[in-house]
Amino acid sequence: MLKKVILYIGVLLVGFQSQAQDIRLVMSAPNAVAAGDQFRLTFNINERGENLTLPDLGNFDVLMGPSFSSSTSFQIINGKTTQSRDFSYTYILRAREAGTFTIRPGSIEVDGKVYQSNSLTIQVVTGQSQAAPAQQQGQQQGQQQGQQQERGSETTPSGSISRNDLFIRLELSRHQAYKGQQIIATVKLYANPNMPLAGFEEVNLPTYEGFYTQDIDIPQQINFKREVFNDRIYQVGVLKKTVLFPQQTGSITIKPFSITTLVQQRVRQRSFFDDFFTGIQTVRAKLTSDAVSVSVRDLPPAPAGFSGGVGDFRISSEISQQEVTTNDAVTLKLTISGTGNIRLIQAPKLALPGDFEQYDPSSADNVRASDGGVSGSKSIEYLFQPRYAGDFKIPSVQFAWFNPASGKYEQQSTPEYDLKVTKGEGDQGTGVVRSLRKQDIQTIGQDIRFISQKQVPLKEKGSSFFGSTLFWAIYLLGTAAFAVFFVVYRKKMEENSNIALVRNKKANRVARKHLKVASDHLKKQQGEAFYDALLKAFWGYLSDKLSIPLADLRRETAVEGLEARKVDPGLISDFLAVVDQCEYARFAPSGGAQVMHELYEKAEDVISKMEKQIKR
Amino acid sequence: MMRRTISILLILVPLISGASGENLLLEEANKHYTDQEFDRAAEKYEQILASGKESAEVYFNLGNAYFKTGDHVQAILNYERAKLLDPRNEDIDFNLKVANQFVVDNPERLPRPFFSRWWGNLANSSSTDGWAKVSIAAFLFFLVLLGSYFFSRSIRLKKLAFYVALPLALLTLLSFSLAWHQHSMIKNRNAALIRCPRVTVKSAPSATGTDLFLIHEGLKVQITDSLDSWKEVQLSDGNKGWMKDSCLVKI
Repeated sequence: MLKKVILYIGVLLVGFQSQAQDIRLVMSAPNAVAAGDQFRLTFNINERGENLTLPDLGNFDVLMGPSFSSSTSFQIINGKTTQSRDFSYTYILRAREAGTFTIRPGSIEVDGKVYQSNSLTIQVVTGQSQAAPAQQQGQQQGQQQGQQQERGSETTPSGSISRNDLFIRLELSRHQAYKGQQIIATVKLYANPNMPLAGFEEVNLPTYEGFYTQDIDIPQQINFKREVFNDRIYQVGVLKKTVLFPQQTGSITIKPFSITTLVQQRVRQRSFFDDFFTGIQTVRAKLTSDAVSVSVRDLPPAPAGFSGGVGDFRISSEISQQEVTTNDAVTLKLTISGTGNIRLIQAPKLALPGDFEQYDPSSADNVRASDGGVSGSKSIEYLFQPRYAGDFKIPSVQFAWFNPASGKYEQQSTPEYDLKVTKGEGDQGTGVVRSLRKQDIQTIGQDIRFISQKQVPLKEKGSSFFGSTLFWAIYLLGTAAFAVFFVVYRKKMEENSNIALVRNKKANRVARKHLKVASDHLKKQQGEAFYDALLKAFWGYLSDKLSIPLADLRRETAVEGLEARKVDPGLISDFLAVVDQCEYARFAPSGGAQVMHELYEKAEDVISKMEKQIKR
Repeated sequence: MMRRTISILLILVPLISGASGENLLLEEANKHYTDQEFDRAAEKYEQILASGKESAEVYFNLGNAYFKTGDHVQAILNYERAKLLDPRNEDIDFNLKVANQFVVDNPERLPRPFFSRWWGNLANSSSTDGWAKVSIAAFLFFLVLLGSYFFSRSIRLKKLAFYVALPLALLTLLSFSLAWHQHSMIKNRNAALIRCPRVTVKSAPSATGTDLFLIHEGLKVQITDSLDSWKEVQLSDGNKGWMKDSCLVKI
């Protein structure tokens, strides 16, 4: 309050400050009138003008005018003064006949310049006798609804209101739509211009089941406009505007909704003074709308890349950077703009190379609902991190949408981007750091393994090595070979041992024979031959006895063989002594018959002793 | 001498060229497969098999080709055949597992006694011919050792030969019986696949028999008995019943 006073004082102190303003001539009139009714046509201008010229009014009669009035107002906001002046010229007109007529612009001269006004379209309906509402009400009594009572003339105290005078209606921009195609639903209140509305109670606006909805902002204050409906003039107020997106197919019915309105009615007392004292009564009237149905068609089979968009869209894309190091975040931003169910569009799939770290796309909507439907844009940001260095391609995103206007799918795709990833510095760490990045191999899909490329030899069907002739033959031949080998070898061994035995037995005799030869040589005094015979007797004997071939028989092998047969060491040394003496005497013959004789006897003695000891 | 060599060559040449003809066919089939022409690859593999030749690889590749054309029953059939010839191949097992995912029925396997399982696993660790070769090698070595046992002069060598020969004799017997086991698996071919989309198994070998259970294509069953055109089949969960053999295809 105080502020206001200060403001007024301010107005007085500061005084006027005239501002140059655009000069505008505005023509206004109700947009719907009844034929025969009077109405006002007003020209407003913000400067004083001269020579107002009326356009050709044709079907309208000018009853009166122009009547002129002017007003001036000042306004100070934040120390800024604005002055506005208003000059108005008013004509009273009457329409002659029904129809829709256009009043062409009027003009006015201000400071020698001619300004034109806007043009107007006025719908003229067949005259309704405002004076005889009673008759009409009477006729339509049958259609009257609810608790409405008979209303004779205005004499009935409690107001009863005709359905034709006050009703609500849901207006849809279309009754046939594709699934997802937007429909603008307007809740309108129709009231007879003569019916003063006081307010609303219990406003139950429609619940749009089966639709995704988005409200259109309308002024808080309900602006009533004149409108013609069923050839009658109504004051029409828009209560709510909503954009509907059908979410299911088939026939969807929007259930009736209701509003309780308060209507002021004049009430006349039934007394002598009634005509002078009229009261005003507020009457409640519950208004119920009709059910409205929409038939929704399903979309044709969707192409690849369709993500739910119905309307008219455009897509554009932008990548944050194209040369990065590993583990840098890259953002691909898609912008889908246009009109339609933008909010319901899902983020299209971005098929990135496999080992990219990809996060869920984030999306932001910026939509505006207006009388033209929902329009705006949706931006989707794909955030991802390349994990490995290399040159990659960020594939293009296919975006398809259904255009209900053409009844076809339309498609647009974003360009493909090259992404060059270089190895980051932090990536050249030690093995420990590397192991942190180890991960399970991602299974992307399952498929059978590839065919075997081996060129193996093919075999006859059903043939196998097991059970084949060769198989059994190897078994049999192996066994047979073993048996043969066994038998042959055994026999040979036996034979060998027999030969040895024979030789062993014969050894003594052979030795004696050699000794006899030696004794013959001794008698003939043939020294060299004697020694030879003696040695032959010894070696032959040992060869037979020890089963050692003569060629292998030497002093050492002979001693070994004798020791193995546990021959007395003394005897061995005697034997060696004889052999030594013989060898020595062979190359250096010395001594006489006596020495030879002794040697002969010693040899005979050694052999006979050996014969006894080896036999054991 | 010269004439004989020539005649041997004359006999060998057609043999070799015949073999390479089938190998050529195999190469062509593999190429079709690589070029994604699975129908034609399967045709070529079947031609090889029709000529009376076989190998685990051909069956495996044919199974792959059928799998790619979407015929999962034929794929399983050929994988099973490949598995009989090469039970140790891990690729065959893998693809068989993948193909079996398309089989509707999944009967619970009856738990087998541990020795039966071990025996089966042991037998499957090589093919028939593998075991036959092991058996023969072990036998021959055994004979050598036996010989050295009998004829060696050294006592130590005799002992060593004896103690090595004894397990070799056992190995010979074992591998022989494993080879026998594998061979009888191939020879008898008691396992079969269901090839009709769905088959009702009856309690008796007649159309009026009580319906016991319903099985679907691709399921592996064991044939346990037969009467006329009816076969008694056993599922891996132990259930038995009779069905017409027209819906069976032997592995």
